[in-house]
Amino acid sequence: MTTPTRGQFTLHARAQAPLKAGDYVLAGRQELTGGDVAPFDGHLRVSSPRYVMPPDQILSTFPPANAEGSFEERLPQIVLKRRTLPWDRRPGAGEPDEMPWLALVVIAEGEGQLSGEVPVAECVTPGEVLVGEVDSPTSCYLAVSQTVVNAVFPTKQDVPLLAHVRQVDPSDTELSLGDDDGFLAVVMANRLPQYHRSTGPDDGDRPVRYLACLINLEQQLDVLPQPAPTHDRFVLTADVAVMNLATMAVTTDPDHYVMGGQAAFDTPVLGAIRAVEGGGASALTEGAQLDDADPQRAAAPMSEAAASAAARPLSASATSKTASAADWQAVPKQVAEVAVSASATEVGRLVRDTMKLNFRYDVERIVKDEPTYRFPVLAHWSFTATDAGSFETLMAGLNVGLLGTAPPPTPDPPAGAPPETGSTRPAAELTDTGHVGLPHQTRRGEARRAWYRGPLTPRPAGVDPDHPEVRLPLAHSSDQLRRVTPDGREDLSLAGAFEIGRLLALAQPSIVSAQLRWRKEQFGAARAKAFVQAAMKGMEKFGLSIGKSDQASGLGWLLGRGIVEAAAADPAGVLAPTRPLADGGRRIEVDGDLDEVVARGFGIDLDAVRRTTDGVGLLAALHETAAPVISDDRVPFDDEAAAKLRQGLATTVGRLADQAVGGRRDPGPVGPRPDGHLPDVHPPHGPVRDGDRATDRPEADVQTGPDRLDELISQAVQDVQRRTGERPDGGDDQ
Amino acid sequence: MIAAEAVGMIRQSVLDIVPTPADTDDDFGDRVVPFEIRQWMARLRLLEAVPFAYLAADSELLPRESIRFFYLDRAWTDALIQGAMSVGTVNSSDRAELAKIYEEARDEIDEEERRVRLAGGEDVQQGPAGTVSGFLLRSRAVSGWPGLHVRAYSVELQTRDDEIIPESDPRRLKVLRMERLAPAVLLVLFDGEPAVVHIEEPRQGVQFGVRLKTSGEGSNSFQAWVPGRDANTSEDVDGVEVPVPFRAGSPGVVDLPALVKSFVDKDSQLHVGTELDSAELALQMIRFPYRQVFGDTSVNGQAPELDTVFRPQIGYRLSELVTTFTRAVRR
Repeated sequence: MTTPTRGQFTLHARAQAPLKAGDYVLAGRQELTGGDVAPFDGHLRVSSPRYVMPPDQILSTFPPANAEGSFEERLPQIVLKRRTLPWDRRPGAGEPDEMPWLALVVIAEGEGQLSGEVPVAECVTPGEVLVGEVDSPTSCYLAVSQTVVNAVFPTKQDVPLLAHVRQVDPSDTELSLGDDDGFLAVVMANRLPQYHRSTGPDDGDRPVRYLACLINLEQQLDVLPQPAPTHDRFVLTADVAVMNLATMAVTTDPDHYVMGGQAAFDTPVLGAIRAVEGGGASALTEGAQLDDADPQRAAAPMSEAAASAAARPLSASATSKTASAADWQAVPKQVAEVAVSASATEVGRLVRDTMKLNFRYDVERIVKDEPTYRFPVLAHWSFTATDAGSFETLMAGLNVGLLGTAPPPTPDPPAGAPPETGSTRPAAELTDTGHVGLPHQTRRGEARRAWYRGPLTPRPAGVDPDHPEVRLPLAHSSDQLRRVTPDGREDLSLAGAFEIGRLLALAQPSIVSAQLRWRKEQFGAARAKAFVQAAMKGMEKFGLSIGKSDQASGLGWLLGRGIVEAAAADPAGVLAPTRPLADGGRRIEVDGDLDEVVARGFGIDLDAVRRTTDGVGLLAALHETAAPVISDDRVPFDDEAAAKLRQGLATTVGRLADQAVGGRRDPGPVGPRPDGHLPDVHPPHGPVRDGDRATDRPEADVQTGPDRLDELISQAVQDVQRRTGERPDGGDDQ
Repeated sequence: MIAAEAVGMIRQSVLDIVPTPADTDDDFGDRVVPFEIRQWMARLRLLEAVPFAYLAADSELLPRESIRFFYLDRAWTDALIQGAMSVGTVNSSDRAELAKIYEEARDEIDEEERRVRLAGGEDVQQGPAGTVSGFLLRSRAVSGWPGLHVRAYSVELQTRDDEIIPESDPRRLKVLRMERLAPAVLLVLFDGEPAVVHIEEPRQGVQFGVRLKTSGEGSNSFQAWVPGRDANTSEDVDGVEVPVPFRAGSPGVVDLPALVKSFVDKDSQLHVGTELDSAELALQMIRFPYRQVFGDTSVNGQAPELDTVFRPQIGYRLSELVTTFTRAVRR
């Protein structure tokens, strides 16, 4: 057979091992010419689970254990790992090979009893004995009365129809459920778990808890019901459970029915039941009493609790239904708590024990008028069928519409029923456009109504379909987005959106810091770059060229370096024309003998000095010789000389001033020329180079106002004239 | 430089600003908005972290057991993004510069929307953002079946029911966001306007069962039927409903041999033969996950009137608004 592909599976009716489970004798005979060989009788046991299912054999169950949901259209099933398991044993002596020995039965609360761990001999109906392999010393059993068997159990013809084999691709994890070879055995139940539907005005829908048990049918196939008349429908006008042991449980206090107070069989002992539950739950935490080996002791806590509960006023049967409706949720919660809180080694046992709550009524003591049967239970789990609705009914019952559709009006209550009290909230103000009227308190404290529409609109909004590229322009504060509708109210949809966006961003410090970082890099970098480019325009006159790739941070350094380099290249243009370190002196004509030149310069008679030197020595001779000094009153200082002096003074001062300030290139020698003439006046030629004063200096503007030197010169002239009182003439050389 | 020139220079720098790429993305290339901000803004655009009161201002907008379809208002989400971006601007020059780069930043965030929810193994879909639509589902189905599958298609599909096409196929719309806002409220956003939406039950293994219906008589009387399947091809045979018989007196207990007989009675359509074994019975009893299809229910292909799917409570009809507006403008 071909392996199915992923997502597919193949169904087979059965998978039979060549040998059923049991004990075999293997007889071997050998015939040898020339001798005898002793026969071989070996004993062989083919083993298979019989009373207890190893936990790794159960791959999945449906409904899931401890689940609450709507399962009224689904058949419970259990998936087993070994494909031959349902056909490993022969359930009866004459049965065909294809008859499975396992069946999955689903009993409701109150229909049967699931026992604690008892020795396997007690796990079948008293009187039956299962010979052969015993795979576990203790096991549980399911005790049910004949009524329940006839009503709920599968018939003998049903049993082979309920077990089949499924073959999947082993690598398809979803379908293979953890199997290793891809072959799974599936055992279905024959009962659809229903929840209790209301039968009248005082009885609402109620969930019902079920227990699904995988039972061993060996030797008890004839207990199964005969084919019953069929019906094309089923009716749920009464309790879903076929029988309710809760209502049948007898109080063991004899006073009540001896004294004629209450009949033995119709006393609801809800208190006792609850005490059993409570006792069961507390016994759970102790972990000791549930494993009683003696069914008698299992009844003992119930009788004690019943005795104590009998002292309490027994609740009327009318309220029992509502009370148990509140109780139904207790057991799944207990199962969940036990599953979470128990230790790893005990958790399986404790969870299964907790699921047995409410299935602990001692059937054999309560039901007296018909036979009860026991079946060994290999696996069990409980679930609750509620009225939650299946996925299909929920989805088909949805009210479909665009956002803003008013909810459907609630249907009128049926005649005779009290009217439903609706909510007292006023209906919402909903407009065509999807706006909702909401109360709005303005900043000034007025209470108004405003329109608001969230981002979810019934019509396409926000973008004009003819101009899809035109979007909302940027707003910088929420007040910019307030709109006013024609009826005078404000439309605060966009303003609300702006504010909540801002608050959500502020609530995340990482986003705030990321935005500030982005602002610094994106905005600050551009600004700095623009500054650099504008500043560069001023640098070109210095011959600086700074590339566009230079960083703004090095700008100052670059500027400085550029300025220094440019200045160094053109110091005269940047700073000032340089002045020579030393002024050139007047040239001295030295021709002839040095002695004669010196004597002539000083005005000394050289021959007289020579003559005197022969007698006295040079120094003495020089000491005796008086150099002619011109006295003040013999200076030929007249106006002409004064004028020449003044002119020479003015030109020299002017030239000095020009060189210091005007930036003349060619300073020329300073001082009188050797031929005795004063140097000519050289007006500064060319424009004065300067950024500020770009005008030519006017020529021959050397005459400034009279200053101190002019006064000295005129004073000297007057002194001489006063002292000599005559026209000054040449001086005496002596 | 004097003050006027400096101010002029600043103004010019602001006007000349050109968005510079902040980082380079593997899928989209140079992006102006940094990755962290872009991702967060794209999520904000898909209404993550927006309080539910802002989405549905009144609880009547989303009653129990209802599904409400909507379009996403681009102007509203634009305002949301603008509010978030206003956090990063401090002075007016910042705001002027943000105004310059806002268009490009917004387009990048629109593109990033598609990358928020990436199915494994699919390419990132790129391109300018279009209409975004979606639905809000408030139902017990969301709390009971948390693993719902949602698919949207832009055209009516002609493929087989069990074929699932990948999201990158152009016929299928990408789901931008699917999230349970509350245990019973589901928000889904689609990248486009769907023609067909599928909501499917998550698979929980292979299940066997029947379809129940109430029978006419009595209030709590039920009948069950099974859609027949062809035994050779395992396909559903249209129109064949096999009634399921029950054991008398037992609520919900199926009578299996009689059920087998019901199947055999329909042998001509189902080709089951003269008897069924357990595998063939199991084949008939398998129930597949349910898929609810939302689409155009009209027969002739015309879109239904808006009034049938959108019934506002009070009338501020558009026509009235137009008249009031014109009156106000003319005044």
